[in-house]
Formats: sequence, C-alpha cells, structure tokens
Amino acid sequence: MSGPMADDATDTDGRRSGRRRWAELPLAMAMLAPAAVILGVFVVYPLARAMWLGQQRCDNFGNDCVSNGIEQYVDVFRSVEFQNALGVTLQFAAITVPFGVILGVGLAVLADKYLRGIGAFRAVFSSTVATSVAVASLMWLFLLQPSVGVLANVSWFSELFPTVKDPGWLQDPSTALWAVAASSVWANLGFTFILVTAGLQGIPRDLHEAAAVDGAGGIRRFWSITVPMLGPTLLFVMIVTVTRAFQAYGEIDLLTGGGPQPDNPTTTIPYFIYGQNSPIRNDVGLQAATAVLLFLLLLGISALQLVGVGRRVHYGD
Amino acid sequence: MTPTRRSRVDVAQSVRTLFTRTAVLVLAGVVAGACSSGESILTIGQEDAVSTTTAAVAPPSTDASGSTIAPTSTVAPTTTQAPLAEFGDCPVEALDGADGPVGITFWHGLGNDLENALIALTDEYNASQDRVVVDLQNQTSYDSAIDKYIQSSQDGRPNVIQFPEYTLQSFAQSGTLIPVEACIQASGYDTAPFLDRALDAYTFEGIGWAMPFNVSNPVLYYNRKVFEAAGLDPDDPPITLEELRAASQAIVDSGAATYGWVVDSGANSGGGWFLEQWFGRAGELYADNGNGRVAPATRVLYDDSTGVELLTFVQQMIADGLAVSVGDNSGGTDAFLKVADPVAPGAMTIGTSAAMGLVFSALGGGLIPGLTAEDVGVGPMPGPGEEIGAQVGGGSLWIVGEKGDEETAAAWDFIQFLVSAESQSEWAAATGYVPVRSDSVDIEPLASTYATDPRYKVPYDQLLTSVEGEASLSPVIGPQREVRVATANAVAAIFDGADVATSLADAAAQSNALIASYNQRN
Amino acid sequence: MATDLTLPIDGADDPDELGARAADGAATVDLGGRPERSRGFDEPTGLRRVGRYGLLAAVVAIVVFPIYTTLIAALKPGDKVFDNPLVPDAFTLDVIRAAWTAGNLDRYLINSLIVATIVTVCQLVTSVLAAYAFAILRFPGRTLIFFLFTATLLVPAEAIMVVNRDTVDSLGWLNTFQGLSVPFLATAFGIFLLRQVFLTLPRDLLDAAAIDGVGHFGFMRHVAVPLVRPTLGALALFSFLGTWNQYLWPNLVITEQDMNTVQSGLRILQASIANEPNLVMAGTVIAALPIFIALLVFQRQLVRGLTAGAVKG
Repeated sequence: MSGPMADDATDTDGRRSGRRRWAELPLAMAMLAPAAVILGVFVVYPLARAMWLGQQRCDNFGNDCVSNGIEQYVDVFRSVEFQNALGVTLQFAAITVPFGVILGVGLAVLADKYLRGIGAFRAVFSSTVATSVAVASLMWLFLLQPSVGVLANVSWFSELFPTVKDPGWLQDPSTALWAVAASSVWANLGFTFILVTAGLQGIPRDLHEAAAVDGAGGIRRFWSITVPMLGPTLLFVMIVTVTRAFQAYGEIDLLTGGGPQPDNPTTTIPYFIYGQNSPIRNDVGLQAATAVLLFLLLLGISALQLVGVGRRVHYGD
Repeated sequence: MTPTRRSRVDVAQSVRTLFTRTAVLVLAGVVAGACSSGESILTIGQEDAVSTTTAAVAPPSTDASGSTIAPTSTVAPTTTQAPLAEFGDCPVEALDGADGPVGITFWHGLGNDLENALIALTDEYNASQDRVVVDLQNQTSYDSAIDKYIQSSQDGRPNVIQFPEYTLQSFAQSGTLIPVEACIQASGYDTAPFLDRALDAYTFEGIGWAMPFNVSNPVLYYNRKVFEAAGLDPDDPPITLEELRAASQAIVDSGAATYGWVVDSGANSGGGWFLEQWFGRAGELYADNGNGRVAPATRVLYDDSTGVELLTFVQQMIADGLAVSVGDNSGGTDAFLKVADPVAPGAMTIGTSAAMGLVFSALGGGLIPGLTAEDVGVGPMPGPGEEIGAQVGGGSLWIVGEKGDEETAAAWDFIQFLVSAESQSEWAAATGYVPVRSDSVDIEPLASTYATDPRYKVPYDQLLTSVEGEASLSPVIGPQREVRVATANAVAAIFDGADVATSLADAAAQSNALIASYNQRN
Repeated sequence: MATDLTLPIDGADDPDELGARAADGAATVDLGGRPERSRGFDEPTGLRRVGRYGLLAAVVAIVVFPIYTTLIAALKPGDKVFDNPLVPDAFTLDVIRAAWTAGNLDRYLINSLIVATIVTVCQLVTSVLAAYAFAILRFPGRTLIFFLFTATLLVPAEAIMVVNRDTVDSLGWLNTFQGLSVPFLATAFGIFLLRQVFLTLPRDLLDAAAIDGVGHFGFMRHVAVPLVRPTLGALALFSFLGTWNQYLWPNLVITEQDMNTVQSGLRILQASIANEPNLVMAGTVIAALPIFIALLVFQRQLVRGLTAGAVKG
C-alpha cells in the first residue's frame, strides 16, 4: 500500500537506505518550489547582484558602468560619509538597545504582580506594538516640532528646557539623535514588554518563594533569579532590537531628514543609501556597495551576539 | 553499511564556527578600515579627480574694489550645437489621426494649495477637449519626482514631468527626454509673448529643453506690524544689504521683535539657492564657463571674495543678534514659523515667492493667533548691489521620449494649454508664481489680482527689472542638487560661527569633485 | 544544543495540557491574567499596593502621552491647535473627516488591507508547504537546504530593495498589488516556525495515516495543519502586521498616488505638518486605529506570534 511511510525502510538512525532515499525527493522539491522561487528571486539574486553592482560606478541613470574591483568596497568603507553613517548607526544602536531592553524589563517587572486591573495596565504597556514606524514617528514629530509641536507649546516645559523650542530638539545637532532614538524606543516598547512578560511568566514562582523564604530581598531575587532565567528572552530581544536599530530608516525620514546640517548626526546607513539628501542617492554602484557592507555588518553583529552572549544563556531548569 | 547520520548537534556546531569566524573577520575588517581614509565617497573610482578640463574661461581677476570682473571668454560664446533633430522628433500632427482620447500621465512635485491649483487647471483642460485625457500624479516633492524618474524604466516614466530648474543639465544630458524646442519648431509655436529670461533659463547648449511653467524667485516676507512698531515704513522694505542690517537694528533696538532677520541653511533656500541668487544680483559668476551656460561647468567660483563677503555679512548679523538661523529648514516652513513665533519672533525672512499663497491661506485660517494675512508684507529680495533683481527659479515641464507619436503630440498639446495666456493668468493669480508670458498680466484674473494685491506682483517686477549680464541666468551645473547640499553644509557651519573662507573653500573643493565625477561619468 | 526548553507553562501542571500547549511551539502569555499558584506571594498589600498602583499610573501616563496629545490634536479645529495641547477643550470630528477624504486615506487603507492579505495568505501557504517538506518528508540534503533557507533571514531588506525594484519594474508590476507584495510572498521565518511545530507532531500520527493509505497532501490537509492552527494564527498576524507597517518598499514601488499604502500616505501628509498639524494628526489616528482594534481582538494570537521565537532557545 502506498502512503507516506509505506516505503520507509529505516535503519536504527532513522535514515533511509538505498533507493528509498530518493523516493520523496520529487514531492519535497515540489513543496519547496514556491518558497524557493520567491526567496531565490527576491533575496538571493538581489544580494548577488548587489555584490556585483557594488564594485561598479555608473552614470546617473545606471548606464555606462565601469568596474573598479573589490577595492571599491574598501574605499566605500573607508570614506568619510560611510564612516559617519556607521558611527551614527552604532550610536543609535548603543542608545536604543540598552534603553529598550531596560525599559521593557522594567515595565514587565513592574506589571508582574497580582493586582486588580493589572490586565488593563499590561494592555496599555503593550499598545505601542500596534504603532508602525510612520505612525510613531509622526506622533513624536508633533511632540518635538519646535514651533507647532506640543512640548514647545507647553509653557512650563519650554521654560524648563528652552532648547525644545529654540532650535528644537530635532534641529539641535547634539540632541537630534537622542530625540529620534526616544521615538524608536517608545515604538518598540510594546513589543519588548510582551516578550519579557512572556519570559517572566515562564519563571517558576517557587524559585522566588524559596529565595524569599531564605531571606533574599526583591532586588537580590531579580538579579539572581529573574535575569538569568530571562536569558533566552533577553537574547532574542537584543537581537531584534539591534537588527531594528541597524535598519532604522522611517524614523529618520520623517523626523529629521538625515539630521541637522552640516554634520548629519542622524544619517544611519540605511538612510545614507535611500535618503532624500544622500549624496549617493542616484549612484547605483555606491548604493549597492553600501548595502552589501550593511549586510556584512549585520552578519557580523548577529554572529557576535549569538556567540558572545548566547554562551552565557541559561537553558532548561 | 550505513553511514552515521550527522546529528543536529554537528550542524549546529559548524554553524557556530562559521559565525565565530565571520565575527572575527568583521572585527578585523573594522580594525583595518577603522582609520577613515578621509576621502569623500564620491571620489571613488576617479582616476584623477581634479581633471584638467578644457577651460573655456580664464580665472576671474579682481579689481581694486574687491569685486571680481567677469573676464571675456576665450572660447566662442556658443558651443558646437548638435542639430536639434538628434534629440528626438516631436510629431505634433499625430494627435489628429488618433481614434479616441489619448491618455497621458503628468508627474509633478507640488503640494497643498499649489497642487490644488494644478488640479484645477488639469481638470479644466480635460473638460475642455476630448482628444487628450491627463492623469495627474503627485510625487510628493521635486526630489521624489526626480528619484522616481531616474529609477524607473522608460515604460514606467510619465509623458510629461515637472522638474525644478536645478536639474537642467542632468536631464538634458540623460537622453530620455525630447527638447521642447523640437515641438515649438515643428508646430511653429509663437514664443514672442514669453519672457525671454524664462525661456533662456531652460536652454542648455543652445537648445531649449523645457518649457518654463511655474516661475518663482526669492522675495522678502516681513511682519508689517513689527515694522510699524519699530518706526519703519511698512511699505518700504529694505532692498540692499545695508538697509537690511539697518532695519534689523531698528527692530531689535525698539524691541518690536527679538530678531530682525530669520535665515536658514537649507539647500534649496538659504544655504544654496539664495546664494546663487545673490551672486546673480551682484553680477558675479557662480560657476565657470559663464555659469555653465556657455559650456558645461567644470568648477564653482563661489569661494571667491564675493562669497566670503556675503556670508561674512550674514554671519556678522547673527553674531550681533540681528539675525537668527533656524537650521536646515527640512520642513520648508521653519523660517516662516520663526517669524510667527509668539515668544521670540523674527521680523523678516527671505522665502520663495511660491509660498505666498500658502502663507496667506495658513494665516487666513487662523493658524497663528494675532497674525492675519494682511499683516504680511512682501518685498523684493534684499541683496548685494543697489538694484533689485532675481534669476528664474521654480520648475518647468519636460516631455519624455520614446512614448509613441500620439502620446508625444498629446503631451505637447497639454503643455501648450498650461502655458497659454489664460492658463498662466489663472495659475499666477491662484499661486503667486510669476506668469511666464507678459500677455497674461493683462488678462483676468491676474489683472485684478495685481491691481488689488500688489504683493503678488513683486516677484514679476523683480524678474523684469533684473540687469542683463553674464550672471543674469542661474548657474547650470551637472550635479547641482549635490553641490547645493555641499554648499548648504558650509553655510550651516558658517552660521554656527565657523571661519567663512575655510568653510567655503572646503565646500567648493567638494563641489568641484562632484562636478568632476559627474563629467567623467556622463 | 538541542535541549528543548521545557518551561512550566503558566498555571498548568497537567502533562496532557503541557503536551497540547507545547505542540504549538510557543509560550502563551497571559496579558490579563494572574500567576495562579503564588497569589499570596505576589500580591502586594496596603502601602505597597498603593505605591505600586501609583507607579503604574505614572508610567502609563508617560507611555500614553504621545497617543494622548495626538488624539487631542486630531479632535481640535484648526484655529485652536496651539491653545492647549494638553487639555481637550474644543471637540470636533470635522478634522478627521477631512483627513479621511482629502488625505485619500480611505483608498490607502483599502490598499494596505489588500496587500497585507495577499502577503499573509501566500506566506502561510508557502511556509506550510516548505515546513512540511523539511519536517515530515525525508530526502538527502534536507538539513543543508534548510540551513540555506534560514540563511536568507540574515539578509536585511534594505540591502536588496533597489534590485528588487528593478526586477518588479521589468516585470511591469510597478503600481500594482503584485508589485507591492511579490517580494514577501515567502519568508524563512515562517518556514522556521512551522517546521519547529511540525517536528513536535507525534510520529504515530504519520504512521497511522500511512497505514490508512492517506497521502502526504491528505495528511497535511486533514491532520497536520489543523493541529498547528494556533501557530498559523500567530504567523498570520505577524505577517499581516509586518506588511501593514512597511514603509520603504511602497515608497519605492509606487508612483501613482491612488496605489499608495497607508504608511506612504502618511509620508505625504507629513509635508503639511507645519500648516495643518491637526490634519496630519487626524491622519495618524486613522492610520493607527485599525491595528489598535486588531490588537484588542487578536491579542492572544499577537502575543503568541511575537513570543514564538523568544522563549524557546
């Protein structure tokens, strides 16, 4: 009788032997085909093509391309503009990741108590997961705009912080990136909160109870029990937040347009590739080279995180 | 004998090793490249970035008073002009043979009330005839329209597109558009009523590439109530730089406003465009080869003594508290909002005349309490020299090539409508743009508008009275957008207090590198 | 490395229940519930209770502040926008109505809905098929091919968008729903997730189906997919949300206003923030509202979707 497993002559390892190995291959290929085609055409091919384009310089319309070899990648990496964008991106990640994780954990721990109506509080804390980048950025633009914005028009606030009105936190080079980061952290708060709450609810309460009986206070228990047990969750949160920080585009497009001139303190690498005021905006070759460099950068950082932090993550009980 | 199956653990192990090695590689790369080369990304792949170009103009000399004299060209004034036919035909008759209405698309980059006026005009055109149906597509901004155009394949491009004046060279050289002059000649269109300045502004290498449509230039917006409170005549705004400074001093001294003059360092306003305009008013060249009009520009000239003088003047006013900078004005309205600021306002700002309608309607809608549309005065742009004057700015209409005879003819038909005397009269009255032809001024509704509200007439007068000369046309540079951004960076630094000469020299070097890179690749 | 993480799932000691819950491969998070077993321990009383409520309220005020001010601005008529940004004094729905029509947001919402639906459905289909192949079928090179598929997760969207735009353009799919959705019709994340869940299906089920003579497709349709419905729901919501929130891709691919999605429509609105801020805020409210409502309705699935990758190591 034919069927999925009818021909399954498996040995002790579960591996199939002889010509049975190939029996399910056609079916597997057929089932993998749709995903393979999409991923191949729209992920693998563009990456390969970008790698090829990245060592060329073309005219404004993408024609008449001249190959410059792998040195172009090194030159792009070492150029002033890319180094600036790299610095900004790293700074942006350095602000949003710690703050995002700390605030998410803080809120989750705060709401992790048996209280009447705690569900409503939790719902509010997770509400920002429903805001898109565009929505969150516009809300914050309205807050921070120096003339028509909310904070600038609340008299006691603008007296306390005169720079919110003149020149405005988004226009002042020293505060612009922080303002954009605040918007980004706020937008990601809901997501982080949900994840950490899930993690917290997975920590067995008897651990806490036992430690409390032994005399450990709240803070001690937090660092000795909660944080280690949150390991996998925190790792995931960190990976996601770091990836998002390196892909920050929409916030910058809507809030600062790349940053107050002349230093462009909010031009991250994605904004450097696609942004309105970018010098390489119509240069396909340089755009591709920067994009590939971004890919390599993210690859390296993901590797670092998994290897460096992952080792210390506590699995199981 | 069956081989042992590689367990999942081994695969995971090799993944880990792969990741570790990649991480080490990336780190090594970072360390290796950590010392920035200090070079701009734009000079990559250049053999000799500062190329010895065929200098068509000798470097300017300075006379005793410090202003530069435009030298006589060492090459014949007109470059070898390629025959018009090379750039594409304009089959203006093709529309007669079409069966059924021809649909064309028109991309523009206007917003708010300007967009509304354009929609009204387009609807009027569509309703008035049945040979052509125009589909209007708003691309949000000029930059967006430019980007989308460049990125699209020819099929994805529209039939008619509106480009700003600073893209003349790059699109003329793109080979994807048909010069409007081909249509003008093929149909025998009468361009006599047109303002010569407007047509010349869009002529590159002797060929008229685009049809001027929405002409604007910078004007001075000021708060009349503040002028009165400071004892200044609100009907006599400052015209020269000295008057500007004196007026600001009076305003600040009287306490009628905190600052006299609001400036910004945006690329298409205070940091780039206005500087080009000031050079035009001073009669100085901004770029070589006759502002890029005699032959393609190879370098910029704005880091000379004129540029240093002008920007030192502004920097000094800021330092003395007479002027304030609102930054790079990425929103486009920051300078205006500073004039309307309730706490620490400025009294005057230079802005594009195209914003007039927006300013009046926003104030008329009660946006700023205590400030109505009548309180805003509009005067000519203050600048160097004694006479007012401005270069043509704004946008123009281009015809996209390879679209088929019928669509090309339809595009030309539409363009003719948009620059007809009646349309330009309507358009100018609704928006504050300058009509591109002088006969529109006598037609309703513009005639009444100019009669009842002379503020609308300011940019028009300013354009007509401009002195003729080598610098009366705006500079044409290949990568003009990018050059403006580089200049704006320098201006922003100068407003912050940086040394003027050094900042300008750096910006000029960057601009020259941009131009060299462009010329090499295009 | 393949230590499966077994967590005591919230409130359940029952092994059957554990097995059932583990089958969906993700933790369930009780956003509205309480940790049952340690009520006494975790329940603050008296002063601590008041303090905790106070702290919570303060944090809520800060978190909600941007949403609050946006709502106020969206409901105020134009001439009152700067008067009192913190206190709702005037109230009118006209601004929202204006943003809906003049801002073309009704059209954009429909476009976003269509694109998100297309992408979600296709992602589910391709992910189920591929995950089934990786989890249930046996063929040489299976592990390697799976690794290759997963490797595509490492490629950031920004790196490939320019080339994708050219591809879509050469297919003639600019300004179409196909163009907006086609690069995202398959995702390695969905394959990864579903494979994990399919792997937890007991082998006996498969063998039983084999004996009954049911082919793979039948098994998939009638047994495997229904069993993993919670994960499918989570993935669906995750895909929908992700596609709805896309900002860069629609901006690249759309040149016709009518085909804009909500997010790129917001970008058009942003240009007017200085002269009509309340209109822009009204547009933001309209754009955000559908997802807020969806979050309330599909809370459980959303949380499941977001935590799917997190708790398991």
